[in-house]
Amino acid sequence: MSNILEFEDINAGYGRIRILNDLSFTVEEGQVYGVIGPNGSGKTTMFNALIGLIKPTSGRIIFDGVDITRMSANVRCKMGLGRTFQVPRPFENMSLYENVLVAAVHGGSNSERFARDLALSSLKMTGLYDKREIRAGELTLLDRKRLEIARALGTSPKLLLLDEVAAGLTDAEVKDIMRLVADLKAAGYSIVWIEHIIETMVGSTDRLMCMAEGRCVADGAPREVIESEEVQRLYLGVDENE
Amino acid sequence: MAKKRLVKRNVRVLDSLPMLIVCIAVVAALYVACLTGLASNNAMRYMIQIFLYMTMGEMWNLLSGFTGMTSLGQQLYVGLAGYSVAVATTKLQLSLGIGLALGVAVSVVIALLLSLVLFRMQGMYFSIATWVVAEAFEKLFLSWKYVEQGSGMTIRVVPYPKISEICAASLTLCVVAVAVVYLLLRTRVGLGLTAMRDDITAASAVGVNIFAGKLLVYVIAAAFIAVAAGIFFVNKGIVYPESGFGIGWTVSMIFIVTIGGSGTVSGPIVGAAIYVFLQEFLAHYPGWSNIILGAITILVIFFLPKGIMGTLQEKLGFEIFSAKRFSFARHR
Repeated sequence: MSNILEFEDINAGYGRIRILNDLSFTVEEGQVYGVIGPNGSGKTTMFNALIGLIKPTSGRIIFDGVDITRMSANVRCKMGLGRTFQVPRPFENMSLYENVLVAAVHGGSNSERFARDLALSSLKMTGLYDKREIRAGELTLLDRKRLEIARALGTSPKLLLLDEVAAGLTDAEVKDIMRLVADLKAAGYSIVWIEHIIETMVGSTDRLMCMAEGRCVADGAPREVIESEEVQRLYLGVDENE
Repeated sequence: MAKKRLVKRNVRVLDSLPMLIVCIAVVAALYVACLTGLASNNAMRYMIQIFLYMTMGEMWNLLSGFTGMTSLGQQLYVGLAGYSVAVATTKLQLSLGIGLALGVAVSVVIALLLSLVLFRMQGMYFSIATWVVAEAFEKLFLSWKYVEQGSGMTIRVVPYPKISEICAASLTLCVVAVAVVYLLLRTRVGLGLTAMRDDITAASAVGVNIFAGKLLVYVIAAAFIAVAAGIFFVNKGIVYPESGFGIGWTVSMIFIVTIGGSGTVSGPIVGAAIYVFLQEFLAHYPGWSNIILGAITILVIFFLPKGIMGTLQEKLGFEIFSAKRFSFARHR
């Protein structure tokens, strides 16, 4: 299978503070690629660099065979990068339908007439259809997370970027979101998925990367990555019996 | 059933033919009143003020209420237009039309140049930077010999237009301004602008071209404010650096938009009418007028945070000139 995304030695950060240090990894088409790592390890920064909110100081990002390192965020979105935000950022004074419509019109480069169907199907898929005329500012956290996904789907992405869509939810809600992600995978989306809940990640991803201090410290089959010494030490501390 | 309820709550009044007819009838009646001498000169003086402030209010609302660009420097384009008209008509003996066109041209060019710098800033920083730039222009004009420095320029237009003509022109300008704002918001660009206002980062992440959107709005606002200001100064007959580039212009626009309802197309229409009458009334209490205007603004923000039209529309469940999109076929 061909690679949908390649990070090649990316260095990036905010102002003078460097967060990503020579980060490299590859995502294959059709894969659900999980990303774990302790707080501050640079996972969200990796997404910010990927969608163009920050510009890397060195390295290349290849998406779908094209070097996108210098492109602006709206162009990258139009090329097929759809991202959710860890802390949801809905357009609060617009209805859910309008939220997704913006994405379908601009990110999906559609006329409003065509975008309407796309928006509605994204809302259906994420279970928000019945609430579509509600103002986004009135939503609960679970629905805000769903709206993030619906909006990303509205842009017709080739690669879906999920940033902790399950964080902060109750157990029952987490199950809901997990089911949604499983549906998305079944629908054929390539996904890069940042999450903290390790057990779920093992079961739901095809490949797993663990980040620490802006680097990739382990990358491979999910079970192996979780059991690797590096990851065990990062998450559980040093084993005192050794 | 749910759908029926949704439709009922959000009837867009302009969609109904009667509303459109009412709008056209009102505008036509105003034209007739101007041009047939039905309105007294005094009435027309008020009308001119209202129409010009409406135009400026609509533009400031487009910037702040719909796009999230809270500029405190729109007086820059008021001043540039005032001086353009003065230079064209009085210094160069050109016609008024050329003067107004020059004002628009200068404003658009300056807006394009400034956008390169100003759009690097967001929120409060953008607001302050726009103000500083306008102040800088005031200082420039205060010391610029060609435009008579601090003593200002008189504007002599030959032949001087009749007040009824000025009134009709102002009305035309304000109708076009409202139409442009409304139609722009109905386009895909307008949809993106509204998203930008709510969250600029998220908007860029879903594919909205932020720079293009901002630029379009900023240039449109500069152009319309320039025409309105040009007409204003012809009517006034003189322009000073302080009267052209004073922050008072933007304060008026903020008042009009806040009172009327930020983020509603109908808000500035109502706000401008209230502002002009209030100002007239408060002229009897010199020194107090700004305090009273300020107090009214604070009261409105406290009790009607969405302004008069915003609150009315919410309470009564209708919207005039709404750019809102609905997920179902339009209600007829």
